[in-house]
Amino acid sequence: MGSPLLEVKHLKKYFPVKGSRTGNLKAVDDVSFFVNEGEVLGIVGESGCGKSTMGKTIIQLLTPTEGEILLNGENIATLSPKEVRQKRRDMQIIFQDPFSSLNPRMKVFKIIEEPLVNFGIGTKEERKQRVNEVAKQVGLTQKQLERFPHEFSGGQRQRIGIARALVSNPKLIVADEPVSALDVSIQSQVLNIMKDLKKEMNLTYIFISHDLSVVHHFCDRIGVMYLGKLVEMADKHELFNNPKHPYTKALLSALPKSHPSKVKERIVLSGDVPNPANPPSGCTFHTRCPSCMEICKVTSPRLHSIGDKHEVSCLLYEEQMERLT
Amino acid sequence: MSLNILEVKDLKIGIQQNKKDIAIVNGLSFHLEKGKTLGIVGESGCGKSMTSLSLMGLLPSGVNWQSGEIYIDQKQINKKAKKEWRKIRGKKISMIFQEPMSSLNPVYKVGSQIMEMIHSHENISKKEAHERAVDMLRLVGIPRPDKVVNEYPHQLSGGMRQRVMIAMALACGPEILIADEPTTALDVTIQAQILDLMKDVQEKLDMSIILITHDLGVVAEICERVIVMYAGEIVEEANVLDLFDQPLHPYTKGLLNSLPDIESQQEYLPSIEGVVPSPSDMPSGCRFFDRCEFATDKCKNKPDLFTTSIGTTVRCWLYEENEVVGGIGNGQSIVRS
Repeated sequence: MGSPLLEVKHLKKYFPVKGSRTGNLKAVDDVSFFVNEGEVLGIVGESGCGKSTMGKTIIQLLTPTEGEILLNGENIATLSPKEVRQKRRDMQIIFQDPFSSLNPRMKVFKIIEEPLVNFGIGTKEERKQRVNEVAKQVGLTQKQLERFPHEFSGGQRQRIGIARALVSNPKLIVADEPVSALDVSIQSQVLNIMKDLKKEMNLTYIFISHDLSVVHHFCDRIGVMYLGKLVEMADKHELFNNPKHPYTKALLSALPKSHPSKVKERIVLSGDVPNPANPPSGCTFHTRCPSCMEICKVTSPRLHSIGDKHEVSCLLYEEQMERLT
Repeated sequence: MSLNILEVKDLKIGIQQNKKDIAIVNGLSFHLEKGKTLGIVGESGCGKSMTSLSLMGLLPSGVNWQSGEIYIDQKQINKKAKKEWRKIRGKKISMIFQEPMSSLNPVYKVGSQIMEMIHSHENISKKEAHERAVDMLRLVGIPRPDKVVNEYPHQLSGGMRQRVMIAMALACGPEILIADEPTTALDVTIQAQILDLMKDVQEKLDMSIILITHDLGVVAEICERVIVMYAGEIVEEANVLDLFDQPLHPYTKGLLNSLPDIESQQEYLPSIEGVVPSPSDMPSGCRFFDRCEFATDKCKNKPDLFTTSIGTTVRCWLYEENEVVGGIGNGQSIVRS
């Protein structure tokens, strides 16, 4: 593994809430992590946990409230909008919804070419060549480039979205639920393409998804988010075989069975995710946690290492650590 | 042999485009046993939602019911009689939809929406109906049901809204519940809650369920029999265990293989190449022909449904020789993939 390509330090993104005395909705609250070059980092969590906001903040589609985002050691959070635009050559995003993220009035060729035009890369001829090259890599034919997005199925549109993200030769791709809107048979096609491209172009992915089995298949390391915070981060095998945080355990047990005859012990969480504009005190998970202690209601835990590149944010393990030291 | 509460025979649903009839659902036959759960699996556009809407008599305008018969409790339903449908809908057969937000009316309280349903079938007082609504909300595990009954849908979370939908669907004690992608819009932890709830009320009320989904994981959770649909046709019907252990149709195999499994370590997922053909441009023979790795010349003719010795029916020429003549379980060879 190489050096960290991206390092995120104490990233916060708050949204003001109108008419509320408590003030802000803490969509991303003090998140720190790193991604090595050539690695796939998975971010999982339920809807509203802030995973998409985090992805957008990282590539500066949203301005962070606080914190640093270091791309190759350079803090991009303090750059001017103009400089950020140039930086986007190196970092691109693939969106979830292949229907609304493509301009319906542009031909596919123009859509894929647009980033090159924006960055002022190459002559017309060179751009054409590059677009054709990328289109071929994602499995679009020459003929299809002259069509409009509405003529394509969901899987093919997602290929267009991938081609657009890759055309400027970026280093980092944030993939925000890239296969959630697709059928299973198409989902595997798109995942395989993304895997091939990673090898060919030495890409680094941040793969955001709510689907644990897809994340397990695709990622090297996985971070679990709950209400704007990272609650656990570990190597995928470690996370699946030895989950520590009660929320991670519940998430894993809620995965549907892969075979009907399997018996699965299930931790059913009671209740829903609390309103992020008004999160519970102490540990934000304490309202649903099966192993909640008195202290969890007042003290919020911090993400700390419990060895073997495994980090968890839970008081159960913080106490253990204290006893050991 | 247990009682078939629902029987569908040769259902055909189509649309008209440029004065041509285009079949969306082409000759679907199946039955549902009392107290059992039948899964209908397929990808988007395979006709599974249209099938379920036709069972409720709710086909959108422009979509025609071309032929086919539906029997509920061995009694044939007259597809044209609107009044008759209104009596059946909600009372005998009920439905929950995928999107709980858009299927609840945002300007009415949750309670009045459930009561509307009760009043349309039963002649009881407002007070009784209100009590029933609270009871139903309690049954589906909503905390503080006496408060929630006076709340509006926007005040509830997605999981709670789906519970309200289920409460509404169950309010008049239907015998059949059709659940069209009931958990697709929900998070996994909430999905687990809702699936548990459905199993629970099924036991309590002795209901039969048709579960329509694209998610084979959900099928593995709660179904007993499964129908796999492809491009408007049944390609395989099997017991849930047989389907997962011995899938027969190449499409079913492909679907099962393309699911990422957290216990395997494969680098690439096997995938089914190509896309579902569009309804206006269906291959005349086997509809899976273009995407099938086992396709032969024979497949240019339309295959029948063959029944194999394990009781699975499959629409594929590969199993023609394995067809069991004269019923199931008479000791003929078992088909293995």
